[in-house]
Amino acid sequence: MYYYILESPDSRGVRQTYQRLRDILTNLGIAGEMVASSPARTPEELAAMGLEKSYSTIVAVGGDHFINQIARSVVGRAVLGIVPINASRQVTDLIGATSIRDAAESLRQRRLTQTSIAVAEPDVVIFLDAVIEVPKLAKASLVVDGKMRAFAYFNRLIITRGLEIKLESSHSVEQKKIFGLFGTGGKVIKSESFFHGRSVRVVTDPELPLMVAGEPIAKTPLQFKLIPDALKVITRRGTLT
Amino acid sequence: MARMVNDDSSNGPGTTVGVNVALSGTLKDQNDIAVFGMVEGEVISEKSISIGQSAQVKGPVHGKVVTVSGTVRGSIKADEKLEVLETGKVFGSIIAKDLIVHSGAILVGKCDMPTEEEAPVEDKEADVEGEPEEVEDLLKPEVEEL
Repeated sequence: MYYYILESPDSRGVRQTYQRLRDILTNLGIAGEMVASSPARTPEELAAMGLEKSYSTIVAVGGDHFINQIARSVVGRAVLGIVPINASRQVTDLIGATSIRDAAESLRQRRLTQTSIAVAEPDVVIFLDAVIEVPKLAKASLVVDGKMRAFAYFNRLIITRGLEIKLESSHSVEQKKIFGLFGTGGKVIKSESFFHGRSVRVVTDPELPLMVAGEPIAKTPLQFKLIPDALKVITRRGTLT
Repeated sequence: MARMVNDDSSNGPGTTVGVNVALSGTLKDQNDIAVFGMVEGEVISEKSISIGQSAQVKGPVHGKVVTVSGTVRGSIKADEKLEVLETGKVFGSIIAKDLIVHSGAILVGKCDMPTEEEAPVEDKEADVEGEPEEVEDLLKPEVEEL
């Protein structure tokens, strides 16, 4: 039996989608207990209730931030199922389903994929990509696995659950002026860097928030560690080999 | 019945050091490495290493296939092939089974090309590591820019 946690619906359209999902799940024979989050019951509290009731599979029904909240609550304690509603491509790619029908079919087939997660110490779990973003270049210092130290300028720093770190920067070099009037020769220099490791320390100047799906979850300086195969996720049959 | 698939994170996409990055220490990856910034330390890959035109590497480089279009101040060991492109500059010894040096490239150092019959001798690497010291002294001002 599955324990479904629905994101608080913000429109009539979403309510109708939930009703359609109920019908699909009933037809597939996998309709379990359904609860919806609200200001009175946070997703984390609902997930904890599901675990207390000894459900071994918790299904998050909603968007990115909601899915990330549920994932953080079930790591190492239950299998995570996902029904994406207004979710990003990152989520649909992970489970291999773009529609609620496909997602429901995946739940029925129950193919499990073990996935790693990154943890920002002491206990901030990163399931979906976490981002540090600044409009102007900021300085970052990274220490990867205690063996390598990198200094970089960046506009965007992305940390994935596999503890892969992507640094993106874009800056323009000054234009040469002719007679102090006409600009010429200016160009934009873009840079991308990619690192991965099992433990990474990230220090930025200035201190910056780490965001997941638009919500801040931590603040630099941060120490990340990789926990391999920490989370079991239901994915569509044949998505990963 | 649940079926398990292992999501092996070791088969990652490799490492890229961008233009805006200065790195020190050992850069080691099982997968491809591409360097466009500055590296002070070893660069080691079981696959290919690409030293881009804007890159400056100070330290030994060891990979299966190594392509240099930037500057390397240190030894290079390529288990299969080393290619120094026209913008490439290598100040250090090289060991490669297959070597391509394009016109315009700069290569200052010993070159060993082991054949099938004659495997590379271990102490050759020691020679290589000892050599760049003089070069390092000459290049200190540039390194300090890092």
